[in-house]
Amino acid sequence: MASFPPEGFVQVASNVDGIDVYAPAPEMPESEPDVVDFACPRCQATTAYSVEDGGLRCAHCGYYEPPAMPTVGKGAQEFEFTVVTVAAARQAQGWGTDRRELQCEQCGARTSVPPGDLTHTCPFCSSNRVLQQTSAQEQLRPRFLVPFQVDQAACKRIAAAWIGASWMSPSALKGNGRLVEFTGVYMPYWTFDARTAADWRAQVGHTETERYYDSGSKSWKTRTKTVWRWESGHARQVFDDHLVPASTRFSELLLGRIQAFDTRALVPYAPSYLAGLMAHAYDVALDDGWESAREAMRDGTRQACRAQASTRQIRNFSMSLDFSDESWRYVLMPVYVAAYAYDGETYQVLVNGQTGAIAGQRPVDWTKVWLAVGGMLAPGVLLGLMGVLASVLGAVLPPTVAAGGLVVVVALVLLVIGIVLAAVTLTKARGMDDV
Amino acid sequence: MSETTVAAGWGEDRVPVVCNDCDWRYLTAVSTPVPHCPHCASGDIEALSPGDLGDAVGLVPELAVPYRVGPDVVGRQVAAFAEPIPFPPEDLAPDVLVSRMQRVLLPVWLVDTDAVSDWRAEVGFDYEVVSHRERYADGAGWSTHEVQEGRIRWEPRVGRLGRHYANVAAPGLTTHGVLTRLLGDFDLGAAVPLTGGVPEGVIVRLPDRSAQAAWADAQSELRRRAQDECRDASGADHVRDFRWSPVCSDLNWTLLLLPLYLTHYRDDEGAVQRVLVNGQTGRLHGASRGSARRAQRRALTIGIVALIAFALSLIVGLAGLIVPPLLVVGLLGGIVAVLIGAGALAPIGRVALFNRRQKQIPVET
Repeated sequence: MASFPPEGFVQVASNVDGIDVYAPAPEMPESEPDVVDFACPRCQATTAYSVEDGGLRCAHCGYYEPPAMPTVGKGAQEFEFTVVTVAAARQAQGWGTDRRELQCEQCGARTSVPPGDLTHTCPFCSSNRVLQQTSAQEQLRPRFLVPFQVDQAACKRIAAAWIGASWMSPSALKGNGRLVEFTGVYMPYWTFDARTAADWRAQVGHTETERYYDSGSKSWKTRTKTVWRWESGHARQVFDDHLVPASTRFSELLLGRIQAFDTRALVPYAPSYLAGLMAHAYDVALDDGWESAREAMRDGTRQACRAQASTRQIRNFSMSLDFSDESWRYVLMPVYVAAYAYDGETYQVLVNGQTGAIAGQRPVDWTKVWLAVGGMLAPGVLLGLMGVLASVLGAVLPPTVAAGGLVVVVALVLLVIGIVLAAVTLTKARGMDDV
Repeated sequence: MSETTVAAGWGEDRVPVVCNDCDWRYLTAVSTPVPHCPHCASGDIEALSPGDLGDAVGLVPELAVPYRVGPDVVGRQVAAFAEPIPFPPEDLAPDVLVSRMQRVLLPVWLVDTDAVSDWRAEVGFDYEVVSHRERYADGAGWSTHEVQEGRIRWEPRVGRLGRHYANVAAPGLTTHGVLTRLLGDFDLGAAVPLTGGVPEGVIVRLPDRSAQAAWADAQSELRRRAQDECRDASGADHVRDFRWSPVCSDLNWTLLLLPLYLTHYRDDEGAVQRVLVNGQTGRLHGASRGSARRAQRRALTIGIVALIAFALSLIVGLAGLIVPPLLVVGLLGGIVAVLIGAGALAPIGRVALFNRRQKQIPVET
């Protein structure tokens, strides 16, 4: 051995006299400052993460610090569901309720930070700091994140286009999109990997045609019948980076619409990525997140099993499913959040900070909607009235009776089409402000 | 026989001898010399001079695995061994085998040494993960069963070692591997200090491997021990890919003795067929040989009976020329006689088949 001990190894306790043991040094430094402040080394002004540059930027003197960590993507370390980790995660349900007292190093002001917040901007001097989360288990600290790739300006453009995209939105709101202020927030997510292997069994129906003699009509006829046969099979599925939101602060429905995050952009966690942005710790326990992911995985596997059946007619379906190679990560994902007021109501909008996907609530101009619904029903109703009128006139002018009946039939068809279109429109309008 | 005694640690004066027929070298008590070689039963035994002993000069037996199996058990084992042999040789009788039973101690080298080395290995830590098994049935929905599975986490470790290793064992006989394959492993952990010396009437085989030759095997054992200790030092449950380059000093060689019962019988040709019994476990291995000569005698007897029967049938058949019904009786008698004659081949075939299926004990054991 060339040098002893090798680089990166540190001495650890030995259980046997006369034998020294060296192990690889722990990856994470054991003592990190509880609070990381971001002051420009050149002018002492506050620095913040710049989405455009992908590093720390001082808005005062232009000082730039490149990104702290290289991209690791899907190679980001995953953790197994060890008994120890699961037990620790079950004990650490959330981050408690105690607020954290902070004293600003720039201006000396004392502020109180809610539990679960990972960043803080001093309300008096706007200096940025990142609060290092403590945890009984190292894995339960944020270890990886996807940095913001969509900047504020792009975000506003996306929002303006989105609000104006629907004819149901109030006309007065169309210019308002540019006024919306978005806040960058790192949202906590769990990512889960697993393999599933399932054995299934079911009765599968096959439609068969048979000839039979009908004694009533004294002739041969054909009829179809369903023959049920037992089938079985084996299905395997691989789930990679299944995302589950680990925060209840925002609507799960809205998060679900924007959460197509690409985990190939994951980088190791570094406080500098959070400078000047908001970040939340998880408040959905690992167990609950895993239960939710398992539900999706087993349904996916069940669908794969059913797809193997030779027909779509299936009954008495049963399956057994084994999970293997289960692993998880605790990551932070970039989300822009905005709330805007209209007509006395507050509406929430979320934008995926990586892809620009947008989801949110939009106010509905119900006058427009009802006018549209009226327009959809009007042809049928008016034509129907004309038909009825023509039928009544038939008493005086008999030839109009037939024409009136035909018009009534056409009116009924148009009315049905109008009702369907109106129902779709109303459903869509109601869904616009769902949370 | 010239009296070259090896006294220290053996309990009584012992003289080293060699069998000139099979080259077995062993120590026998001066007071109770063994007239025949326990290995090949030859009487051509010669005393060895100190110069012929090599590393065996001044050997000290330190430990011995005691005999756990008594003569009564050995007797039952031998009877069970002889019972299934068809037409056993005259010499193969349980009483004879037991009367010839000789207790022999087999030598294993023991070495004490101080070892110093850097080491490197992967050590494994057991841990458990939580997994799930689920069942689904239409109408019943999902039922979940949480299970725990054991896994090993492997981590690299390096270190330095400076330890004294006592009683590292290495085979003293070139045939040690063959013997343990035939008789099973001896539990060396059961060895006890040989405080009272070698019991009376027991002979001790001398090592036919030098300490230098045994050192390569001792190093393997040393490596295994060091590997286990480094695993324990790391607080781990497993170890693999262990590498070290030990510098060993202060080597001290002694002997560990393993218990064996040895007896023999002579087959038809007068060749010695050995029967060995592990003195610790009672496991027996011996050459099973049926006696072709006895089988031939039995075949001859049956053949004569068949011949007589055939002659009688012939006579009755001839009488049938006068009294026709006797012709049928004579014919049937002839057929029976032929069948008996054919059966006379059975003993010979049975013994030949049995002997062919038996594996010979390697001569060198």
